[in-house]
Order: sequence, then C-alpha cells, then structure tokens
Amino acid sequence: MADKNGFFDLSKSTLSRRTALKGIVAGAGLALAPGFVRYSQAQSSAPIKIGFQSHRTGIGAAYGRWYEKTSAAAVKAINDAGGISGRKVELVIEDDGTDPARGAEVVGKFATQHKTDIVFGTLFSHVVIGSAPAAGENKIPYFVVSEGHHVASTKLNRYVFQPGITDVKSQIQSMAPWIAANAGKKVTQIFPDFAFGYDHRDYLPPALKAQGADVIAQIAIPPTESSFTKYFPQIPAETEVIYHVMVGPAVLTFVKELGEFYGSQRPQLFGFIDSLEAVDINSPGLEFLDGSHFWEGSPRYAQPDDSAAQKAYRAAVGIDDNGAAVGDPKDVSTAAHMFGCWETLYVVKKAMEDAGYKGPEDRAKLVEATEALKEFAEGPEHPQGPKTFNGKIHQCFGIQNISKVEGGKLKVVHKTKIEDGLYEPEGDYTTQAL
Amino acid sequence: MACLTTAFALLPTPAFAHASDRGHVLLLPTGYYIAGGALAVAFSFLTLALLPPAALDRFWRRRLSLLTVSDHPRTVLSLFSLAGFVLLIATGLFGSRDPLSNPLPLVIWTLLWAGFTLLQGVLGDLWSWLNPWYGPWRVASRVFSLRTDEAEPSLLPKWLGYWPAFVLFFGFAWFELIDPAPDDPSRLAFAAGIYWLLSFAAICVFGYEDWSRRGEFLTVFFSMVARFAPLQREKGRLHLGWPGAKLLSASSLPASGTAFLLLALSSVSFDGLSKTFFWLGLFGVNPLEFPGRTALIGIGSFGLVLTFILLAAVFALAVSLGQRLAGDGQPFEKAAGLLVWSIVPIALAYHIAHYLTALLVDGQYALVALSDPFALGWNLFGTADRMVEAGVVAGAESAWWLWNLQAGVIIAGHVLAVLIAHGLAWRLHPQPSRAALSQLPLTLLMIAYTIFGLWLLATPTAG
Repeated sequence: MADKNGFFDLSKSTLSRRTALKGIVAGAGLALAPGFVRYSQAQSSAPIKIGFQSHRTGIGAAYGRWYEKTSAAAVKAINDAGGISGRKVELVIEDDGTDPARGAEVVGKFATQHKTDIVFGTLFSHVVIGSAPAAGENKIPYFVVSEGHHVASTKLNRYVFQPGITDVKSQIQSMAPWIAANAGKKVTQIFPDFAFGYDHRDYLPPALKAQGADVIAQIAIPPTESSFTKYFPQIPAETEVIYHVMVGPAVLTFVKELGEFYGSQRPQLFGFIDSLEAVDINSPGLEFLDGSHFWEGSPRYAQPDDSAAQKAYRAAVGIDDNGAAVGDPKDVSTAAHMFGCWETLYVVKKAMEDAGYKGPEDRAKLVEATEALKEFAEGPEHPQGPKTFNGKIHQCFGIQNISKVEGGKLKVVHKTKIEDGLYEPEGDYTTQAL
Repeated sequence: MACLTTAFALLPTPAFAHASDRGHVLLLPTGYYIAGGALAVAFSFLTLALLPPAALDRFWRRRLSLLTVSDHPRTVLSLFSLAGFVLLIATGLFGSRDPLSNPLPLVIWTLLWAGFTLLQGVLGDLWSWLNPWYGPWRVASRVFSLRTDEAEPSLLPKWLGYWPAFVLFFGFAWFELIDPAPDDPSRLAFAAGIYWLLSFAAICVFGYEDWSRRGEFLTVFFSMVARFAPLQREKGRLHLGWPGAKLLSASSLPASGTAFLLLALSSVSFDGLSKTFFWLGLFGVNPLEFPGRTALIGIGSFGLVLTFILLAAVFALAVSLGQRLAGDGQPFEKAAGLLVWSIVPIALAYHIAHYLTALLVDGQYALVALSDPFALGWNLFGTADRMVEAGVVAGAESAWWLWNLQAGVIIAGHVLAVLIAHGLAWRLHPQPSRAALSQLPLTLLMIAYTIFGLWLLATPTAG
C-alpha cells in the first residue's frame, strides 16, 4: 500500500470505509462470534481496540461523518503498514449523539463492556468535558480531537489528551502577528454571544496588543439572531479589520447582509473557517468573502506546494482538490479539523510502541509515554505539519494556515510558526496521581 | 464533580454549530412561499364552496378497476416479514454498534417509519401483507385453538376505543423524539423486540382483528394513512382512484381515534418545532451550543404533550365553531370524528417534508448496511461497498430543490385536506351552504397550519 516514496497511497486501492471497519462489532457480538477464542490464546496477536466515541447523530453529525472517514482511513493505513507493535488496530464505534451525558456513558461502556484499550475521537467541547470524568474514573486514556482549550487548561484530568490538533487559544493567538502586519491595526470583533465567541473575545485582544494592534470594538450577537443589519452601525468607522467568527445556520445571511451594508468599500475581513466548515465557499450569499482571509487548521483546497504527505493523506481520506468527497463534489469535508483524527491515531501508535503497551494493564504506562512525547515531525503521520507536544498540559502546538478567498478557492497565503501560538502553561497534569 | 461542573460553566468552550443546509434556505424568499401557500389553501376553499358538492363528490369517487389480487399469500408473507424482523433484532444485538452501519435503526427509523409510511400513502395497505403478527397469530391460533374474532364478543372493552393505540403511539413518539438514544442498535432491539412480544400476547388475548384495529399503533397508523392512497384494494379487487377518495367514505371515529390522528400529526410537527431557534429560545437553550437530547428530556416531553393539546384544542374549537355556524345540531363528537379524516393528507405531507432529507441520506446507509448486517464483511446484495453520497442534500442547489419539494408537498397536503373536509362536511350537512359555512373555522385552521408547516421548514434550526 506504500508507494515508492514510502507514503500510504490508498487511492489506488479499493478502500471503502467498510473494509477498515469490518472488525467493528459489538462487544456482545464479538463474544459470541465463533472466532473470538482465537485471540484469547495469544494476547500479543489480539487487535488493539480503540473505542471511537463518534458524533454519528445529533448536532455534530456533519463533523462526525468526516471524523469517521478520516479515522477509518488512518486505521487502514496503520494496519496496512503492520499495525501497532505488530498488532492490528480495530475501531469500535459508539455513537455519543453529540450529547455530554451519553458521551460519559459511552466512555464507561468502552472501559467496562467493550474493554477497549483507549477511547478516541470526539469533537464537541461539551461532550469532551462531560466525558472526561468517566475517563478519569475508569483510568482509560481518552484522546480527543476537539480543538477546545479545555484539555490545555488542565481542568480535566490526567487521562485526557489532545495531541492531534492545536487548541483554540493557541490558534487565535497565532493569528495576531499576521493580522497586525498585513490586515490592519484597528480591529473590530463580531462574535456570537456565548462560549465559542468568548474564546475569541478574550484571547485575541492581548495577542494583538503584543503586536501593536488594538481591538477597538467587540460586538456580541445573540445566538438566536438571524438578521444582522441592525448591529453593523456599531462597527466603528475607523475599523481596518473585521474579525468575524459567526457560527450556525445564519452565517450565510450574516455575510450577505454585511456585503449589503458595505458594498464594494469594505474593511479587511478575517474569520475562522469554523463558520463555514463543510459549506461550499462558492455558495450564493458568500460572494462578499472574496479577497477575505480565514484561519484553517489544515487547508480545505489542495495547494500547489502541498507536500507528498499531504497529498497521500488527502487521497487516503478521499477528498478531492476542492476538499469535497471524491465522487461526491457537493459533500464538502471538515478539512480544517479532521486531520486531527489521523494525526492523533499516529500519536497513539507512537505512544503505545514507546510504552511497550500490551493491554489495559499498561494504561498508566501509556499515559506516561504520551506525556513524554516532545515533538512530531511533518510527514505521512503528521501531514498537517510539524508539532510540539507539552506533556504537562497534554496539548500539542502546530502551525496554522491563513488562507485568502481567491477565485472561489481558499489559497494559503501564510503559515504561522509554532512559537506564535505558545503560551504559559496553566497547570500540570503530571502532578496528578495515576 | 459539582466543582468541576461549576469550573466549566465559566470556561470558554468552542462549539461547532454547523452552518447547515438550513442556512441556504434562510436566503430563499420563503416569505413569498408562505404567503402563497396560505392563499392557495384559502383559494381552494372558496373554489370548493362554489362548486356543487354532489357533482364534486361523484367526480372524486370515480375510480378505475384494475385487477383482482388474492390475499392468499398474506400468512406466508407475514411469516417472512417476521423472520426478517427477528434477523434485524439479531443485528441490533450482535451487529455493529454504529447506528449508521447497523441495519436495525436504519430499517426501523428510515425505511419503515420515514419511508414505508409514504408507500402506504401511495400504494395502499401494504402493511396488511407485511404485518409481522398476522402470520404467527394464524399459526398460533391454529395450533393452540385460540379464540377467533368472529366467535365471541371482544375481551377488549368497547369504551377503551383507540386509547391503547393512542398510549402506545405516544410511547413510540416519545422514544423516537425524546429518548436520548433511539438509534442505539441494542437499545432499539430491546424496545422493538419487547414491543413485538407484548403485542403478540395482546393479539392472543384480544384477537388479531381487535388488537390490530385499536391497540397495535403501527397497524392503526398505517391503515389510517393507507386510506389516502390512490391505489385501494376492496373485496380482492385493486382500484385506482383519486388520492384521499377513500377518506370521503370513512366512518366517524370515536374521540380516541380522533385523538390518535391528531397525535400522529402533532408529534411530527413537534419534531420540527423542537429544533427551531424559536422553541429552544423559549427555554433559554442556546441552539448553537445544543446541549444534547439528555438535557432536553423534560422540555421535550412537555413540548410533545403541549403540541398535542394545542392541536387538539384548536381542532375541537374549529369543529365546534363550524357546527355552530352550520346550526343544524349535529353532535360534536360525530362531526369531529368525521372531519378529523381530513388531517390524514396533512399528516402525510408533514411526514414527507420532515423526513425527506433523512430518507435520501440514511436510506443510502440502509442499503449499505443491509448487505453486511453483522459487520462481518459480507456483501449480500452487492451494495456493501456503495458510496453514501451525503452531498445529495448539501449545498444551495439541493436546498432550493428540497425546499420547493417540501413546500409543494405541504401546500398540496393542505389543499387536499380542504377538499376532503369539504366532502365530509357535505355528508354532515347535506345543504351545501351550511356545509361550506361549517368549514370556515377548519379552513382557517388549515391555513394556519400551512403557514406553520412552511415556517418550520424555513426558520433557523439547531443542527
């Protein structure tokens, strides 16, 4: 499956997500399946079971679908290259319904019923926060791909890790140098009036200040608002950059109305692609975004200078040059975030191999081995780019992309440095007992 | 734990509320559609009021006789259906834990509930062939010499009417709409398996005909929906008629039956309502940070009951006002029980509009899952490797098509409802002017429900 450059090239195979997920059966089903006993004789050959806590239903389903595709592709690639310590990897999916209470239930199920080695995968912050105590109580390592600051805040517990995607605090902070140098020094923020918006409200101003720029106005929009024109007069006339992070179904309306308000004379626009993740950038109503800039974790569109690793990753997951599903061009992926699933699974592989992980009895060793990780080099296992890992706060830090909307595509115009996003640790998980 | 919760209440947390396809609908001129829909329903009422009811009734009842269909294979088909059901329960218990890979939730919620209901509404009572209780009951009654329906008076008290079916349907709707995990394969396997067993026990005690007519909610629902279908089978002969024609000759339902039909409509309406920014806003729930089903069990249960009570109250008020306007002293219950049949096309229209996107996407997952029901790498029907194209419902263009289709169905459903209500009113009030007058309040209700239905599809929603 590896091509001559040593990259996993699944595009030439007949990969289907089913092939990778063939082994996904319920614990009960497995116990009853005739082949079950074959592993109990030789634990070293038994597959490593990864409990995949997935947003299959509920508000996160659009993300969940792509997290599942990416994870299945990563597991296939890992298995084709020999698995983890020579053992095959098996994903066991449980749907958390994007519901914190079910999230906790699912983590408990993985630990006690499916007896998976670890739990992996979920995205929505409230589900992570709701599930983390269950991971701690069951002493089962819980690898999330959430991008929330909750892991790095050290308010969760020692069993929770986020090694595959940079947290939002770091992301926001690392945008400041580019904004101040290229977009403008006087920034007005428009954000939804709840936790998601507050991250941007709180983390951006000090970061900009350090770069000699200022947030001159902060406009909080009620989450249930669906018409925005009445808020625009609050934007100060001297605004050079509008920093917008609206989310939800009314985003298209927001952009359209902002365009109607400004016409062709507008300040610079800077946003987070979270607003339009899984939405075609060429949708009617979004014309006004032409020439504006967005944060992207991993670029949605193929770039001319994409590394071979990035190309191989895109082919393995099955996204085309526009970031949509191969064969289904209207199904736009959640490219900016889902790479985190791929990279997290490779971190799990590395940590398990470092720990000499044999089974659930080695979970504490796995935690320590993960905490000992320092950096991940860019390559087939980390196609988004190089990362450092802070074992004390269980959080990785990577490069971020700033992309310009140009000719109906997002073109990466700047890649931040890892240092742009570093901040003082807020605590230390390693002091907690295992 | 309490400390942790408090700490996180203060901690900023990203959310990923997706700019979903409803976002594209928000940019469409939905206001014009809503106004147009209301006008269309009002206009159809006025047109009908001017037409001679007898001629209309005769025209609508015209039908084409097609062919004779024997119901001989019914027992065998039902036994096959039961075998399929048992297999599905097994997949729910032993197959994939992923609700989009396990055939049980996909068959029950997508193919049966969302999809089969539509087939019933077009092709007639297919359920009577596939009903998984009929065959086993026939076998059991033969083997154990159980009571047959004709032999003795029913053990199911007459005063109970359709209330058993009402209560069970409410339980079903609650499970579908409020329970935290109705898609969970093993949870659903237990729920569906136990329901089959309990129903079979009830059938053995009360007799197949009686329990199917008044207790087993799926059969009650499906047979009510089937009355709308253009294809009808009567005395072994298949006929093609106008949609809803058979509803015109329906007999008046008791209060419990009226309540059942209203619940069928109100529960689907509530499913739409419960996700709107409007509804969540009433309870201070941030739709962009949707807290999940578990947190909304109380609000959801309240809403499910409330929408039923509101719809029932408004319907009762419209019928009673109509009777007063007509002024010929028809008993209220008889009028309500007859006119409620006009709800069937509306319920069907809501059903189509509401489940259309789920049917288009999850229907594909079902095709894949059925080929490999136990996630063992089988490919029974050659569809196991089929790619699921979620893009069929994504983007501005799909949103336009879907919206137009949904709006069209909702408006058509209400226009047909006005037509059927008109025909039923004429049965109650043979004098045309009185019949038309009696329909005024119900028509206003239908106009309001058209607006409500289109608004549900146009307003911002969570997820």
